[in-house]
Amino acid sequence: MSDFVQVSQLWPLIGYSAAVLVVIGAMLAIPRFLSHERHARYTEEPFESGVVPVGDVRVRLAVQYYPVAIFFVIFDLEAIFIFAWAVAFREAGWLGYLEMLAFIGILLASLVYLWRIGALDWRTRRQRLQDSFLD
Amino acid sequence: MISAVDLIALLPLLILTGTAILAMLAIAIRRNHRLVFLLTVAGLLGALALVPMAANMTPRTVTPLLLVDRYALVFTALALAAGLVVVCLCRSYFGVRADQPEEVYLLILTALLGAGVLAAGRHFASFFLGLETLSVSLFALIAYPYRDERALEAGIKYLVLSGAASGFLVFGMALVYADTGTLEFSALISASSTLTIIIGTILIVAAVSFKLSLVPFHLWTADVYQGAPAPVTAFLATVSKGAVFVLLLRYAVAGGLGQAPALVNVLSLLAALSMLAGNLLALRQDNLKRLLAYSSIAHMGYLLIVLVAGSKVSGSFAAEALLFYLAAYFVTTLAAFGTITVLSPSDREAESLDDYAGLFHSHPWPATVLASALLSLAGIPLTAGFVGKFYLFAAGGLGELWTLLALLVVGSGLGLYYYVRVIFQMAKPSLDIAGKPTAPAPLEAHLVLVVLLVLLFGLGVYPGGVIDLLTMAALR
Repeated sequence: MSDFVQVSQLWPLIGYSAAVLVVIGAMLAIPRFLSHERHARYTEEPFESGVVPVGDVRVRLAVQYYPVAIFFVIFDLEAIFIFAWAVAFREAGWLGYLEMLAFIGILLASLVYLWRIGALDWRTRRQRLQDSFLD
Repeated sequence: MISAVDLIALLPLLILTGTAILAMLAIAIRRNHRLVFLLTVAGLLGALALVPMAANMTPRTVTPLLLVDRYALVFTALALAAGLVVVCLCRSYFGVRADQPEEVYLLILTALLGAGVLAAGRHFASFFLGLETLSVSLFALIAYPYRDERALEAGIKYLVLSGAASGFLVFGMALVYADTGTLEFSALISASSTLTIIIGTILIVAAVSFKLSLVPFHLWTADVYQGAPAPVTAFLATVSKGAVFVLLLRYAVAGGLGQAPALVNVLSLLAALSMLAGNLLALRQDNLKRLLAYSSIAHMGYLLIVLVAGSKVSGSFAAEALLFYLAAYFVTTLAAFGTITVLSPSDREAESLDDYAGLFHSHPWPATVLASALLSLAGIPLTAGFVGKFYLFAAGGLGELWTLLALLVVGSGLGLYYYVRVIFQMAKPSLDIAGKPTAPAPLEAHLVLVVLLVLLFGLGVYPGGVIDLLTMAALR
């Protein structure tokens, strides 16, 4: 039964979750009784650390943003595999070392590929064109 | 520990991986369509040449995930050959249409790798890995001409639905694992079939039915077939479906799927619905690609007979029947989509039936190939499709599945109507309409069609050679 966590061991977690719920509930409930409604010029404005919000919610991001985000997720995930191997480095032995070498080699090859096709280039096509005129 | 023998058994897959990486680096260094094409062809031929060498080491369990036996290797060889055909068709097709056609080959190589893993899979982990490697490559292949609205639509449709199917698959696997505590197929046969296992297995079957486009999981098929570029459709129709079917039979035989009557009933129902609905929906199609899509639904339904019978007849006969039918279906489907590819003008695809009016007079050679392919799909004697269908009858008869066999007869009768309708259309007197499809006559595409035509009649007239090869590929 060592695989299963005993319920008695879970009490701190359950207690903590309950405390979180109580605190948040209190934070939401108390202003309801203490505050009184007042409508002024900036009441409806979102509050973010005192900075005045600017512009629309629907910001159009350049498409370059998405590939970079996806590459980050992919390579981040690969890092987890390498981490798992590093923890069991001695147990995996030379075979594990060779396999990881192949794995990292393939990753490097794909990074070279991404770099060469310009997927890591943050500029838009127009900016790239302008830069090539400047050179 | 992995020994040298294990590595030899895996060589075809390792060569594929190496070729994919080399192709990627070649693109990174300098974009050259011809170089990447030649590299891919060389890699595929190399992997194909190493299959007999790997066959000497079989059967061999390489890591807990893969079982390299003759069954897996025969299908791997079949998939590699189909990949070779598709690559040859892609060269002229994407060379004219795409700005950067090089990545097509990369994606085909990774898709073939997924198919090879599926064929050798003996574990749920390799099942999922292989399936995802294959599917993710296909998403990109289908939407490759991304400026074309329909290709993009087809790609996104396939992506979303395939993602949903994968969710079902993983959930089903989790249920089976929760009850048995193992992910190996062979360990399932001793497990008593509890409700959890049956629900889990039905979820897995539902996910697989999506990949095989069995009714009622078929709704994506026609749109994706129509939207995808013709060579990619050929790949999707053959390698992708074949690999999933090969894995399904191994899972069914090794995991004792036939023990639970509920599952056999589900599979029989899927087969019956697919045979009927596929053929009925194809009757009124005026678009050749959609027609072939519905016909593929029906053919996958026919093939399910082998799977249902697999619980009653010996696994080796079921494997032989499945592999022969797949070989015949691969040759036939590749010939059909190959003709569509060759006939398509550079700005669109020749998919409407009107494009084929009078083809026998204007382009007798592609018309002959297409007509032979359609006759083979209908199962006319002397073609590969006939021997394939003969195998289905033999398997169904041994398994005493009379209802399914009756439906097979009805389905084939319906099928004859719409296949022959296309042939009649081609035999019409030629009309001189401007913008008729003109073949740009790329040499390797025509060469591929010649080979396919020879194989199509070769398998039909003298199937003995291939059958001898397949009897050695018995599934344990």
